[in-house]
Amino acid sequence: MGFEKFLFYVLSLITVWSSVMVITRKNPVHSVLFLVLAFVASAALWVLLEAEFLGIVLILVYVGAVMVLFLFVVMMLDVDIATLRAGFIGYLPLGLLIAAVMAVEIFLIVGPANFGLAAFPSPEPAGVDASNTRDLGLLLYTVYVYPVEIAAVILLVAIVAAIRLTLRRRPDNKYVDPARQVRVRKGPDRVRLVSMATEDLAPAPAGATIADKGESQ
Amino acid sequence: MPFDAAQLLPILPEITILVTASLVLLVDLYLDDQQKDLNHSLTLVGILIAIALTGAVGGGEARVFFDGNLVRDALSDLLKGSILVVSLLAFVYARPWLRDRGMLVGEFYVLGLFAVLGMLIMVSANSFLTLYLGLELQALTLYALVAFDRDSRKGAEAGMKYFVLGALGSGMLLYGISMIYGATGSIEFGPVAAAVAEQEISNKVLVFGIVFLVIGIGFKFGAVPFHMWVPDIYEGAPTPAVLILGSAPKIAAFALAIRMLVDGLESLHTDWQGMLVILAVLSMGLGNLVAIAQSNIKRMLAYSTISHVGFIFLGLLSGSQQGYASAMFYTIVYAVMSAGAFGILLILGRKGFDAERLEDLKGLNDRDSWYAAMMALIMFSMAGVPPTVGFMAKLLVLESVIRIDMVWLALVAVFFSIIGAFYYLRVVKFIYFDKPAEDAPALLTTGGVRFAMSVNGLALLVLGLFPAALLSLCQAAFA
Amino acid sequence: MENLYLTIVLAPLIGAIVAGFLGGRIGRRGAHSVTIAGVGLSALLSLWVLTAFIWGDLPVFNETIYNWMVSDGISFEVGFLVDKLTAVMMATVTFVSLMVHIYTIGYMAGDEHNWPHGALSGKNSYQRFFSYISLFTFSMLMLVMSNNFMQLFFGWEAVGLVSYLLIGFWSTRESAIFANLKAFLVNRVGDFGFILGIAAIAMYFGSMDYAEVFAMAPEHAEIQVALFGGVSLMTLICVLLFIGAMGKSAQVPLHVWLPDSMEGPTPISALIHAATMVTAGVFMVARMSPLYELSEAALSFVLIIGATTAFFMGLIGLVQNDIKRVVAYSTLSQLGYMVTALGASAYAAGIFHLMTHAFFKALLFLAAGSVIIAMHHKQDISHMGGLRKYMPITWITALLGSLALIGFPGFSGFFSKDAIIEAVGHSSLFGSGYATVLLTIGVFVTALYSFRMYFLVFHGKERMDEHTKHHLHETPWVVTVPLILLAIPSVFIGWYAIEPMLISDWFASGDWNPIMVAPEHDTLLPLREHWHGQVAFIQHGMTAWPFYLAMSGLGLAAFVWWLVFARNPRIDEQLQALGGPVTRLLQDKYGFDDFNQRVFAGGGRDLGRALWMNGDRALIDGAIVNGSARTVARMAQRVRHLQTGYLYHYAIAMIVGLVGLLTLFVTL
Repeated sequence: MGFEKFLFYVLSLITVWSSVMVITRKNPVHSVLFLVLAFVASAALWVLLEAEFLGIVLILVYVGAVMVLFLFVVMMLDVDIATLRAGFIGYLPLGLLIAAVMAVEIFLIVGPANFGLAAFPSPEPAGVDASNTRDLGLLLYTVYVYPVEIAAVILLVAIVAAIRLTLRRRPDNKYVDPARQVRVRKGPDRVRLVSMATEDLAPAPAGATIADKGESQ
Repeated sequence: MPFDAAQLLPILPEITILVTASLVLLVDLYLDDQQKDLNHSLTLVGILIAIALTGAVGGGEARVFFDGNLVRDALSDLLKGSILVVSLLAFVYARPWLRDRGMLVGEFYVLGLFAVLGMLIMVSANSFLTLYLGLELQALTLYALVAFDRDSRKGAEAGMKYFVLGALGSGMLLYGISMIYGATGSIEFGPVAAAVAEQEISNKVLVFGIVFLVIGIGFKFGAVPFHMWVPDIYEGAPTPAVLILGSAPKIAAFALAIRMLVDGLESLHTDWQGMLVILAVLSMGLGNLVAIAQSNIKRMLAYSTISHVGFIFLGLLSGSQQGYASAMFYTIVYAVMSAGAFGILLILGRKGFDAERLEDLKGLNDRDSWYAAMMALIMFSMAGVPPTVGFMAKLLVLESVIRIDMVWLALVAVFFSIIGAFYYLRVVKFIYFDKPAEDAPALLTTGGVRFAMSVNGLALLVLGLFPAALLSLCQAAFA
Repeated sequence: MENLYLTIVLAPLIGAIVAGFLGGRIGRRGAHSVTIAGVGLSALLSLWVLTAFIWGDLPVFNETIYNWMVSDGISFEVGFLVDKLTAVMMATVTFVSLMVHIYTIGYMAGDEHNWPHGALSGKNSYQRFFSYISLFTFSMLMLVMSNNFMQLFFGWEAVGLVSYLLIGFWSTRESAIFANLKAFLVNRVGDFGFILGIAAIAMYFGSMDYAEVFAMAPEHAEIQVALFGGVSLMTLICVLLFIGAMGKSAQVPLHVWLPDSMEGPTPISALIHAATMVTAGVFMVARMSPLYELSEAALSFVLIIGATTAFFMGLIGLVQNDIKRVVAYSTLSQLGYMVTALGASAYAAGIFHLMTHAFFKALLFLAAGSVIIAMHHKQDISHMGGLRKYMPITWITALLGSLALIGFPGFSGFFSKDAIIEAVGHSSLFGSGYATVLLTIGVFVTALYSFRMYFLVFHGKERMDEHTKHHLHETPWVVTVPLILLAIPSVFIGWYAIEPMLISDWFASGDWNPIMVAPEHDTLLPLREHWHGQVAFIQHGMTAWPFYLAMSGLGLAAFVWWLVFARNPRIDEQLQALGGPVTRLLQDKYGFDDFNQRVFAGGGRDLGRALWMNGDRALIDGAIVNGSARTVARMAQRVRHLQTGYLYHYAIAMIVGLVGLLTLFVTL
């Protein structure tokens, strides 16, 4: 028991500290890296709470996918930190005041008085063969099947919305259509080399040349 | 646990909308630019089927499905029907505008239908989880619709603002829900209500959670001081998006409030009543005052929305069945009025020109006297002039606060609605007493739009004269 | 049955709508055809309902048709209550209305001459007139068939509105506009009392439904209201409702509008201001008999007002020279009789007289109208005379009507009026002695003015100008047929109806009795106990005071205005000069008009002017309206700057809101 408690405090401290670092670092890359650390620490906290599946998913999805994407965006874009922080000092006192008031109020409520062991006694530890994944899966596909379906629709909407907002058809875009390339048959479609007798330097009519090109493409 | 297919019956309207949306999404791929009207037709047919199904599966005793995640009761029947009807009007109004600007694409209908789906899910939610998911589904589609016009900088800015503030609002709501879950140990409304009833009245954790819930509700409705997004989004977004955003989602927001506060937390009525009083007074006051100073009609309607939200809250906060019914009546009526008002703005627009200034309504009577009459009806109804239904709606919510001996609140409401009458009547003045601008373009309308607008405008009059039918439906939802 | 009753009510309404909105399209013929069809259908069905009540066993219908709204537990409904009382009213109203519709075809045939040339308001006036009278029929049916106070009030106001429209029908005439404004304003006074009465009922009973209110009434009889040092609730309600009836049924002192209403076309004088609308007050009190029976004070009030009207208004009729005004004052007087009957708890007698009066007074008005048509719209009886020879049908029917009016034995008026006088004589309420004396002398006065008019119009020398005399002839069939059809019930209806309506307990059907009379108030009881058939009643009547008085009145009138007048045509003026101050008092109509004109109208104008100058223009317009508008605009300009457009401002606003709410509701 003692070791678990020790681990809990260490991990909590890491989480809080790295969260503070996320918003105070000047370099956004550092911020993102600290965020990764915060996620890893909280994942560890979940594992301590016997929520192994969620802990692993947190690392897989957030650290492995989302954060990498973040990092990618932050490194690709040239974010001008100076303009972002222009009004920071001016608003700092107000921000701090509000944050302090909120912190006090939240602490008053979400403190040991309401959420202590008296109100929520710690549950019995799960057995050795308890499977997090199996339990979650059972719940998701029976009791919560309706919400899961809704979540699926939300994902669909996210795809549609993202494509609608970003995809543009550019007229100057040059691309090849492999399907058409493959469909080319021998004979009329291909380029032919024609041997011709040399002629005089009389210029051919302009239209004819273009039409030829169009056909041979 | 075997799955009972009968569970699917009550969500047949939802399934219909989902199938329609998916169908439009697929069919759109194979359509030429000239054939895009098929999207429109498919959408309308889908909604009509959904309305019919709502009627078919509705009625009877309230029943819970999907292990407590879904409920079908009189409230969900009526609200679903209203949402579908109002959305139907919105899609009809939007079509000429979209076609004129070459935006008659499948995505608009897909997103619009998904928004409707989200609202339908919200009104029949029986747990915080379903409610929240429906809300997110609806919100996500609305963000996209606001930024739908990719070439409009204003639209993109509005979409961005809406997204960030919406995320903040949802976050607060979710935090509130987690508090309620923490205090009661359930996310289903029934058990939550039972747990709350057992506990001491002043459970600080519950009140703490309720504050966040009320903020979530206030944000969705656009109540002061969580209203900041409303004017900017109404102004920046393309008008068809505002039409969809400003009408039916208010009904869904009403469901959000009723499901959480009444179904889940009615025993804590005294706690949330005070919060709603503050929001109501601020909304009515600020909404009506600032609307006067607007020269942009979309902004004016945005502030008018805010003031109407104050009135809806009056009914909600009274905590009586009559009060809830009157708020419901008000909400549905408001959605219809709002759809009509934005519909008229769509008619007035042209490619490269949107009717945004109040002056653009000048001399509408000379340009088309029938639409002028409909707009005048809508404005009178919004101002609460008898015999339009707006008057009945205001009367009913005022009655509900008077019944709980909050006469001062009723007086405040009347005072601000008198101030509000000014800017509605100013619109009527522009319509009838001013000459149209020389270069006013022809109206953008079709037979379908004219028919829908006539139904819309006359409904306000007929409902005002014969409110009993709708009112008794509203009362039955809370009986 | 619901559909049948709906048809009765809606058929005239549909006619009114078609004739009113499509009048220009369907033309005159179309307009009168459609309205007569509507009212005719309604009349047929009403007669069927009445016969089904008399010979059949039609059950009482009391149902809600449509629930308009519910507020604070009181539901506002549209519903019908059809019992025998209603059936009598329905049949009377629709029958008279149908007669008037037909008659109007003749009377309004040349209506375009009544308008200034080219006046826009004169366009399609014929169709509009038909639309109005059909609308009136609808409103009156709504009133009498109502089963609740809300609809009663609707009908009450609707008939008032149509009356207003019709009195001022010739809207280009100054006098017509003055008259309809007057009617409207005076009725407003009555309606104010009426709606206060309804409000008191809604407040204390919590219901608008007749049956529910009547059932609860006995429990509320003991309630005292802290008003004027404490009055019983029932007295308050009944007096307030009766004030409404005083306005509508033109009882002193709210009678002043009725004589002026003669400015309207004659058909509506017959329909609205004689036969139907003005009797609405009588009907209403009879309908409310379960309430009135609980308050003797209110009954006394009704009794005294009624008797005063009956006698003193009859007197004025003696000095009038306008043919319609004579009939109008006669109407006032007869309404007084009905109201007195109500005060004496002889509701059945009141309704009985209402019915007989509807027929013979409509007849008299229409006969007067017929005379007016023949006289080219001249109405002064001093310039008539000798019309008997030119208009035989009008003459005979007018004679029959006059005989019915004075209560000549055997005619309908005889039965109803004698029953009233008898009942009032048996009443023991405060004021019943006063009422008996006035009503009895009133019979003499009635006979005198009726036959004064009769002899001046139909007998003696022709005193009109040559041109008019040259054109004198009987009016067309559309005018005379209604006269004949109305003359029949005027003569016979009393004989047939007295036994069911007064003697047997006919109004009650099953356990529903619309006319409730407390045993100690039952003034018709002696009549019932000594009933030996109509013949005995006539024989008994011929030995009583009213008969002698009527006969002497008739005789005196014949002597003065027939025999003496033939030799001395100035006898009328000489007699009036002989009366001196009394005549002047009567000609001034006891000074009611002057008083109202000077005190209420003049005072109201002065007060209005003062309030307008000081209150409205200076205080409200200047300081409050414009001042507040300026303040609001300034505030709005300031508040709108809260909307900066910056996202982080918006976010911080939300968070400040959150912190504010948290601090208020959680921490504090």
